[in-house]
Amino acid sequence: METPIINVEQLSKTYRVPVRAAGLKASLRSFIRPQYDDIAALRDVTFSIQSGEMVGLIGPNGAGKTTTLKLLSGLLHPSHGSVEVAGFIPWERRPAYLRTISMVLGNKSQMLWDIPPADSFRVLGEIYAVPQAEFHQTLDELVDLLDMRELLTKPVRNLSLGERMKCELTASLLYRPRVLFLDEPTLGLDVSVQLRLRRFLADYNRRSGVTVILTSHYMADVTALCPRVLLIHHGRLLFDGELAELARKMAPFKQIRLNLDTEKNNGDLPLPAGVDMVERDSNSLTLRVPRAESAGITARLLQTLPVVDLTVEDPPVESVIDQVYSGGEL
Amino acid sequence: MRALKLVGCFIRTSLQEEAAYRANFWISLFYSVLNLGSGVLGIVVLFGQVESVQGWTLPSTLALLGVYLCVTALRGLFIGPGLDSLAGMDGEIWSGTFDFTLLRPVNTQLLVSVRKWRLFSLADLLMAAAVLVTAVMMLGVTLTAWQVAAFILTLLAAVLILYAFLLAFAALVFWSPGVMFTWVFDGLFQLARYPMGMYPGWLQLVLTWVIPVGLITTVPAQALTGTISWAALAVSLGAALILVAAASILFRIGLRRYASASS
Amino acid sequence: MNLRSSWALVKGLWLSWLQYRSFFFILAFGWMIPPLIYMLVWYTAAGDQGLAGFTRGEFAAYYLVLILVNQITFAQTNWTVGDMIRTGQMNQILLRPIHPIMDAVAAEFAGKLVYLIFDVPIVALLALLLQPQMDFQALNGLLFIPALLMAWALRFFWGYWLALLAFWATRADALLTLQDTLMFLLAGQVAPVALLPGALQTAAIVLPFRSMVAFPVEVLTGRLNGTDLLTGFAIQAAWLAAAVILYRLVWTRGLRHYAAIGG
Repeated sequence: METPIINVEQLSKTYRVPVRAAGLKASLRSFIRPQYDDIAALRDVTFSIQSGEMVGLIGPNGAGKTTTLKLLSGLLHPSHGSVEVAGFIPWERRPAYLRTISMVLGNKSQMLWDIPPADSFRVLGEIYAVPQAEFHQTLDELVDLLDMRELLTKPVRNLSLGERMKCELTASLLYRPRVLFLDEPTLGLDVSVQLRLRRFLADYNRRSGVTVILTSHYMADVTALCPRVLLIHHGRLLFDGELAELARKMAPFKQIRLNLDTEKNNGDLPLPAGVDMVERDSNSLTLRVPRAESAGITARLLQTLPVVDLTVEDPPVESVIDQVYSGGEL
Repeated sequence: MRALKLVGCFIRTSLQEEAAYRANFWISLFYSVLNLGSGVLGIVVLFGQVESVQGWTLPSTLALLGVYLCVTALRGLFIGPGLDSLAGMDGEIWSGTFDFTLLRPVNTQLLVSVRKWRLFSLADLLMAAAVLVTAVMMLGVTLTAWQVAAFILTLLAAVLILYAFLLAFAALVFWSPGVMFTWVFDGLFQLARYPMGMYPGWLQLVLTWVIPVGLITTVPAQALTGTISWAALAVSLGAALILVAAASILFRIGLRRYASASS
Repeated sequence: MNLRSSWALVKGLWLSWLQYRSFFFILAFGWMIPPLIYMLVWYTAAGDQGLAGFTRGEFAAYYLVLILVNQITFAQTNWTVGDMIRTGQMNQILLRPIHPIMDAVAAEFAGKLVYLIFDVPIVALLALLLQPQMDFQALNGLLFIPALLMAWALRFFWGYWLALLAFWATRADALLTLQDTLMFLLAGQVAPVALLPGALQTAAIVLPFRSMVAFPVEVLTGRLNGTDLLTGFAIQAAWLAAAVILYRLVWTRGLRHYAAIGG
């Protein structure tokens, strides 16, 4: 086993936030003797990532995902613990380190607004000291993969959100970084663009071996791209492994969907014990049953209910995650 | 050198951005002419009523206006736009895109200082030069080599002092992101339109020792009109270097604060 | 439009503007600087003997009053009206049962109060330092009030109709900057109107700018004799009437145009 490209140990980050109460008296009081609250954004997070992996960082809003990315990229200093990325300590911000990593922020743009993307790319190439030949080759490759040749000469302010995100991805990969941090890259994009970008990321990861850490609120991004997820909640790392395994752990349930014969459906349905009804409408029924008993219960349902159609499936990832976010135990 | 190549790239890109808006050229020209006109008229009106104020006459005050316009033009040429895009109204710190700047493998202070150029300011520089030339002609003296050298040195010191102020005020934004510190400086800098000698004694002290805005225009004007001493020249250069160093340290502390306090 | 709802409007604006008081204080600071500079320059130029009929103290008094009058009459309409039209917020305001102009008026009360909180202590401090002199007559004090009110109304309506040009042009900036320069030269800032050279002085008396700022100041500081007072008030009233007529004209035309192009 080779050394991981990213090594994080006991990483913690606490903020001191001034307490500001309402009202004039409180303001004066806090001016004379300011009071602070300590907010723990991250607590003792430990993990390591091998070169070339694609890892999803998931968790509810405010869990500490963006804080983690910022600590890994050197934008923040930790309060405790150690981080090593590609052999560097991020917050030392050595130029050699900064040339090794790249970051895409979902709702923020690094492109120059009034001129075509080609010119922003040129400036970045200059800033990162990419040799001319290599720059053109990389740019061509990315432009082809993302199918954005016509966009290169339009001013950025005239581009749509999806087109701009393509530019952001290109900009971030121009100098062939070894690690790519993506913070909500598909935020606000329509479904077809999301699909294209996912395909691109998977493709690019395969070709170049870039290590990718991705945060996203769209579970589809994570399920499609990340064989491994890190679940962060209240600043702690609650889970590190495959998403499917998380689902199995969190939700040892199966979901059974039934379509009923409306003629024979008299409104009163005898359900076996241990079965929860998730949803019901005029001719269909969704039930949640313990995984171990799903086979037996399915048989009983077929006997007791006027079933026309029946499907047994895993519960949707979203509901699993929702359970975790709202405090479910692991 | 690589740094020069980088700056060249920035100049080229800034020119492209400026050229994207054609109307702006004429509007900017209009503003510059208005600014020049009102500055000159102010001096003309004052000296319409009096021959000299504390030793400053119309030509020498006009020379000082020329220095003011010159320094302002240089500020508008490169350091101003860069620092404004960091700490100004629609700046990076305000809109949250400063993280991108921090991720670049280039020294942050250098990057924000030279990355944006406003080439229109070259027109302002020309107008400032015209005012200076007019003032010198009105004075009726021929400039000695020493005067010219002293003038250039003090002008350089003036630009460095101005840079130090802008950098320091921009750094303050790391502590209080919503406050427009550069506007405060802009207000104070207006005081540099007139020679310090025209202000009451207590204000002169403030403008020399507390907020040395006065050093920026009065000293070069004195150099040009031949009334500067060796000591004043040395002090202004020394002050420039010290202030730039202090402002850079403040900026570095501000960066550290941003890195530990932002979320 | 009853008293209670207008008071509620003012109070609401007042509370929200107070939140951003550091922003507004910096603005007020910026507006105060030009008259402050000229005050200090004339003050120094007058010296012990006085200059052109003003003693040192009289220059100080003139400008200190000018700072306050300028602040009270300052037209915020470019933001409260112009920006609203440009950003499309005017649509919301047109739907209200209150005439849109009340919105701008309420903003005037709220804003001016916030700015004055900053200005008054500073003016008081400067008064202590400079010892202004004024020949105060009760009659002048009484006449000051209508002069100030008309000056405010004139500047408000003048600014309002200019801001309404936003209905047609997306950027009236150049026009406004031109007006600022004229205000600076002709409204008593660069020098009291009496000290302006020939042609400029006539222009100042005839154009509306002096009636907007300098006139009330001249009334209060007792610089005008009987005939001058009468002509001054007459010119002020005439310009106020013209401003209101222009406002109504541009408003009706503007609304039509705005509705025609879809708001």
